[in-house]
Amino acid sequence: MIEVKNLTKIFLQKNGEELFAVNDLSFIVQKGEIVVLLGVNGAGKTTCMRMLSTVLKPNSGTATVEGFDILKQSQQVRANLGYLSGDTGLYSRLTARETITYFGRLYDVDEPKIKSRILEMADLLDMHNFLDKKIDLLSTGMKQKVSIARSIVHDPPVMIFDEPTAGLDILTAKNIVNFIHNCKENGKCVLFSTHIMREAERIADRIVMIHEGKILAEGSWDDLRTATQLHDLDDIFIHFVNNSSREVNDESA
Amino acid sequence: MNLHKIMIIYRKEMLDLLRDRRTVITSFVLPVILYPLLMIGFSSMLSRQEHVLEKQEMTIYINNQVMDESSLLIEKELEKLETFQIMEPINLFEKANYLPLVEDNSIQALIEIRDSLSTNGYLVYITTVSYNRSDDKSTLAYEKITNALKNVEFDLVGERLQKIKINREILNAVDIKEENVAPPEKMVGFALGKFLPYLLIILTISGASVIASDLVAGEKERGTLETILVSAARRNELVVGKYLTIITISLLTVLLNLFSMYISFTYILSQAGEVATKLQLPLGNFALILVLMLPLITLFSAILLSISTYSRNIKEAQSYQMPLIFGSIMLSMVSFLPGFELNFGFALIPIVNFSLLIRDIMLSNYNIQYLFLIIGYTILLDIIVIAISIKLFNSESVLFRTAEEKSLKFWGKGKKDIFSTQFVMLVFFILLLGLFYIGGSWQSKDIMSGLIKSEIFIILLPVIFILRISKTNIKSTLRLNKTNPLNFLLALVAAIPALIVVAVLGQLINLVFPISESYVEGMKNLLTASDGGFWYSILVIGVLAGICEETLFRGYIINGFKKLGFWKSIIISGVLFGIFHLDPFRLIPASLLGMWMGYLLLQTNSIFVPMFAHFINNSLTIVITTYGDKIPVLKTLATADIIPYWYIFPAGLIVYLVYLVVEKINPKIEINEL
Ligand SMILES: Nc1ncnc2c1ncn2[C@@H]1O[C@H](COP(=O)(O)OP(=O)(O)O)[C@@H](O)[C@H]1O
Ligand SMILES: [Mg+2]
Repeated sequence: MIEVKNLTKIFLQKNGEELFAVNDLSFIVQKGEIVVLLGVNGAGKTTCMRMLSTVLKPNSGTATVEGFDILKQSQQVRANLGYLSGDTGLYSRLTARETITYFGRLYDVDEPKIKSRILEMADLLDMHNFLDKKIDLLSTGMKQKVSIARSIVHDPPVMIFDEPTAGLDILTAKNIVNFIHNCKENGKCVLFSTHIMREAERIADRIVMIHEGKILAEGSWDDLRTATQLHDLDDIFIHFVNNSSREVNDESA
Repeated sequence: MNLHKIMIIYRKEMLDLLRDRRTVITSFVLPVILYPLLMIGFSSMLSRQEHVLEKQEMTIYINNQVMDESSLLIEKELEKLETFQIMEPINLFEKANYLPLVEDNSIQALIEIRDSLSTNGYLVYITTVSYNRSDDKSTLAYEKITNALKNVEFDLVGERLQKIKINREILNAVDIKEENVAPPEKMVGFALGKFLPYLLIILTISGASVIASDLVAGEKERGTLETILVSAARRNELVVGKYLTIITISLLTVLLNLFSMYISFTYILSQAGEVATKLQLPLGNFALILVLMLPLITLFSAILLSISTYSRNIKEAQSYQMPLIFGSIMLSMVSFLPGFELNFGFALIPIVNFSLLIRDIMLSNYNIQYLFLIIGYTILLDIIVIAISIKLFNSESVLFRTAEEKSLKFWGKGKKDIFSTQFVMLVFFILLLGLFYIGGSWQSKDIMSGLIKSEIFIILLPVIFILRISKTNIKSTLRLNKTNPLNFLLALVAAIPALIVVAVLGQLINLVFPISESYVEGMKNLLTASDGGFWYSILVIGVLAGICEETLFRGYIINGFKKLGFWKSIIISGVLFGIFHLDPFRLIPASLLGMWMGYLLLQTNSIFVPMFAHFINNSLTIVITTYGDKIPVLKTLATADIIPYWYIFPAGLIVYLVYLVVEKINPKIEINEL
C-alpha cells in the first residue's frame, strides 16, 4: 500500500524563485489496485514518484510504502518497491539476462530465485528470444521490457511505473499494459503515470489528476463523469484545469 | 555497508568496463606494445643516426698562415681524417666571409693556423677551430679535429724534446684516470628517477580519468544512475564499488606500464653491448614504488570519482578534470628540478611529495620517515575525499542537476557564451600551455624579446581576438573607463606596503619550503638582465606586462566568474593569475597581487587602475633588484631574507587603509552589474 500525506517538493529555479513541483499532495493506493497519476508534462508526476522511491526528499509532508516511511526507512522502502521510469537507460554492454541478474543481486534475491524469476517474466513479457543478446542490439520495445523485468526482479509488493509506455509501439505498449494488469491480479499495488487520457482510462481503477503540483480531482472514471456531466476524457480534464485556474483567480481577486 | 553488495557492484562494473574496447586498448594493450616499440625504435634510430653521422662527409676549411713544415704537418694530419673534405684554399682569406658558412652548416669547421713565439723561443701554432655547437655534425667534426691536433702536438713535442735530449717520459707528471664511483644501478636510477614520477603520474591519472568520468557522469548521461539509486543498494556501497573499480583498472594500468617498461629497458641494455650488460635496473626499487603508487592511485581515484559525481555528463566531467590533470602533471615535474629536496613541507604537498620520493627511491637514497609520513598523509586525504564523494552521492541537487544546454557557440551570435566559466577556463589553459611551450622556447632564446613576444602574442592578442570575433563591446568589457584620479594615487601609496606584505609572506613560506639558491640567482638575473638597460626592462616588464596581463586577467578572465559574486571572482581570478606565472614559488605572492588587482578593478570599475598598480609593482621590483643596494630605504627589501616580520603590520595597515578609502570614494556597484 502507498499512503501519500501532504507531500510537497520545492525546487529553486535559476532566477531565484521557488517552484512548487509537488504541492501538498495526498492520496492512497491500495493493495490490488492500479492508480493512475494523470497530468500534462511538467505537472509533477515524476517528482512525486521520485520522492516515493526515496531518491528525492520532500520539503514537507511524507509518505509510506508498505508501512515504511520514505524519510526514516528509505532502505526498506526501496526493498519493497519496483520503480521504473520511461526515460531510464540500461547498461549497453551487458546482456538482458546479466542486467536482470545484477539487479536481482542488488535486491538480495538468491541465485535460484533470480533464475526462476527471469523465466517467469520472460514468459509474461515475451522476452525469450533476446535474453542473451547485448542490450546494445535490442529495439526500444525490447529494452523497455528488460527495464520492467529488472525493476521488479525482486517481486516487490508495490510498483511504480512512470510513463513506461512513452515512445513505444502499440503492440509492445499493449503487452506491457497486460503485464501490469497481471500484476494487479496477483495483489500488487500499482501507481502508474501518464499524460495520455486513453491509456489512463484503459488501465486505471482510480485516477489522480494533478496539475502544477496540485490534485485537481480524484476518483474512478465513472465518479469523474458523474461529477462533471461530461463524457469525453479530454473535456473532463480541461474542465478540471479551468476550474482550478478560476479558483486561483477568485482567490487573488 | 555490506561487503557482499560492494563486490556485486564491483564485479558488474569490471565486467562492463572490460567489455569496452576503448578501456581495454588504452589501459592494457597500449602499454604492452607501446614501450617495446618506443624503446626499440628509439634506440635503433639513435644508433643509426650515430652511424650515419660517423660516415657523413664533412667539409672543413683550413687557413694556414704559417706554411712551414710543422704547420703543414698539422694540415696533413687533418687531411688524413676519413670522411673529411678540405676546401680549396683561396688567396685572399677573410674570416668574416667564412664564419657564416659554419653557422649555416654548409661547412662543419673553420681552422686557422697562426704562429707566435713563446717566451722561451719556441714557435706556438695557434690553431683556432670555429664550429657550430648547436649542430651535431659540426660538434663531431670539432671532436675529431681536436683529437687529430692532439696527435700532432704529441709528435711535435716529442721531436723537440728529442732535440734537447730529454726523454718524453718527463711529461707524465700527473696522470689522470677516470673512475666513476656511481654504481651502474645508481646511474640508471638517476636517469630514471627524474622522469619516472612524471610518467607514472600521467599514466595513473590519464587512465583513471577516462574510467571515472564514465562511472557516474556517464551513468547520468545514459539514464542508468536512477535505476541503481532506487535499488536496494546503499549509496556508500555504490560509491565504494565504483571506487574499487577505478583503483583496480588504474593499478593494472600502472603495473602493466611498469612491467612493460622494465622488460623493454632490460632488453635494450642487453643489446647495448659489454658495458651496459653490467647495468641493472634496480628491481627492488621498482617494487617499492609500486607499493607507494597504491595510496596515490586511491587518492586520484577518489578525486576523479567526486568530480564525476558532481558533473552532469561526461563532457562536463572532462572539463573539470582538465585543471586537475594539468596541475598534477606540472607538480610532478618537480623531480626534474635540481635543488629540490624532500622535507616536511614538501611531504605535505600532494604529488610533489610523491615525485620527490620516487626520485629518491630510484637513487636508493630515501628517508623512511618521509615514506611513512607520505603514505599516512595520503591515506588521510583519501578518506576525506571519499567522504566527500559519498556526500555528493547523497545530495539530490547534485544527482538531479538538470542539464543546461550551454554550447560554446561564440562564433555565432551568442555573446554571453565567451564569458561562461567553462569557456574562460578553456582559454586560460590553452594560453597557459602556449606560454609554457611556445613562450618558454621564445624566452630561452632571448629573454627580453621572448617576453615581448609572449606578452603580445600569447597574452594580449588572443583576448582581443576573442572579443572581436564575438562582437563584444571591448570598451565596456575591458572597463576602459574613466575613474577618480585619486585612485591612481592610492594605488601608488599601496604599492610599497603591498610589496612588503607579499615579501614577508614569501619569507614565511620560505621557512617551510626553502627556495634553492640557484633559483634565487635565476630570478635575479631575469629582473636585472637588461640588455637594453634599466629603462628597457621597465618598458617591457613594467609597462607592457602591466597592459597585457591586466587585459587578460582583469579585462577578460575575471568576467567568467562574476556569477559567483564579488569576492569569489576576485579570489579565483587572482589564483589563476598566480598559476599563470608557472612558478611554484611565486604562486602565492602572485595570487595575492592578482587579488589586489582584481579588487581595484571591481571597486573602481576601471582597468586603468589595476594596470597602473601592476606597472608600479613590477617596476618597483626592477628598481629594487637593480639599485636596491644603493638606495638606503630599499636596501632591506633587496636582500630578501632580512625583512623584519613586524613590517607586515604597518604595511598591512596601510594597505587596509587604502582599501577603505578606495571603497569609500568609489560608487557601489551591484553584483549583477559587475
Ligand atoms: N531537478 C530539478 N530541478 C529543478 N526543477 C525541476 C527538477 N526536476 C523537475 N523540475 C521541475 O518540476 C516540475 C515538475 O516536473 P516533473 O515532475 O518532471 O513533471 P512530469 O513528470 O509531470 O512531466 C517541472 O516544472 C520541472 O521543470
Ligand atoms: Mg515525467
